[in-house]
Amino acid sequence: MKSSRMLIFILTSILVWIVAACVPDNQNKSEDSVKFQQYYVEGERLYKVYCSNCHQSDGSGLGRLYPPLVRSDFMQKNLAEVICLIKYGRKGELWVNGVMYNQPMKGNPGLTELEVAEIATYIYNSWGNVHDRVEVAEASSILAACPDR
Amino acid sequence: MLDTRSQTLIIRINKLRQYQVNRLLLCTLTTLFLLSCQMNEKPLPIFGEREVVGTDTVYHTIAPFAFVDQDSSLVTNETFKDNIYVADFFFTSCRTICPIMKTQMLRVYNATAEMPDVKILSHTIDPEYDTVALLHDFANRLGAESNRWHFVTGVKDSIYKIAQTSYFATAMEDKSEPDGFIHSGAFLLLDKQQRIRGKYDGTKEEDVNRLIIDIKRLRRDEK
Repeated sequence: MKSSRMLIFILTSILVWIVAACVPDNQNKSEDSVKFQQYYVEGERLYKVYCSNCHQSDGSGLGRLYPPLVRSDFMQKNLAEVICLIKYGRKGELWVNGVMYNQPMKGNPGLTELEVAEIATYIYNSWGNVHDRVEVAEASSILAACPDR
Repeated sequence: MLDTRSQTLIIRINKLRQYQVNRLLLCTLTTLFLLSCQMNEKPLPIFGEREVVGTDTVYHTIAPFAFVDQDSSLVTNETFKDNIYVADFFFTSCRTICPIMKTQMLRVYNATAEMPDVKILSHTIDPEYDTVALLHDFANRLGAESNRWHFVTGVKDSIYKIAQTSYFATAMEDKSEPDGFIHSGAFLLLDKQQRIRGKYDGTKEEDVNRLIIDIKRLRRDEK
């Protein structure tokens, strides 16, 4: 009898401890998810203006002319390069999922660091891609180090 | 004995039934009307000025041209003899409307795969940059075969002139534009006598759906 009371007490304590530990965490998460939503929605709008003509609104690309952004191994391996090319463009061969693309992409130098981060957040979290939000600070430091500025 | 509420309900149900019968009648009549329209379908219009010479009407046709396609083959009016074709104007380095036009033209290309008498003619308006080799690579990467879809280059002024005077499409250089050119996103449908039979916005999916339907109509009419 005594031991079962003790067990209930211990279990309740553990439960309280877990709940207590989770509450502030949840708040952080919801703040984060609002930020994520803002980046994502704005990123989608910018994607439609600057990117979707070639890469298509569903990210599928076009033939072997414009590479897909859906399940692109290049994107998964090269976040920094992707961030650079959104703003500064890219020339030369580019391999995506075993296919070579070679259509020069002109840059969009008018984009701000925040806009680049928003576009990156959108493309890295759409069409089955899953990634964290690309922070403006991260985009900013990557952009400062781009080779073809 | 029914109370007033139930009576109102019955009246309402009756009204609803009457309404449904009316709707059914209307629907049938509309369908019949549409069907009769389909049967007496007017032929596609013929664009441009026309002249009456004796008892014949002479229509606007495409002026003589000679361009070179992605395989370095000469492409002239003769290339499209006894063929229906769709024409447009674009350039490979354009990132505004051209990629959308090419996405849509690819739909036309795929929709006409089983029609040996239908071809496509895409003119570059930037022949200095769009060389034969570049057009070859472009067409290849798009997945287009040169016997059905010709990507042509030539003397710049000849391309601009034929765009404006033969196809009624805008195409010219403009340094103030972000990519350096202005051109319309139009797709032109040409019949076997090289007369324009339709003009469509190549950046709009619905317009291109209409083009695909019109190609089938034109083939039926020209048989």
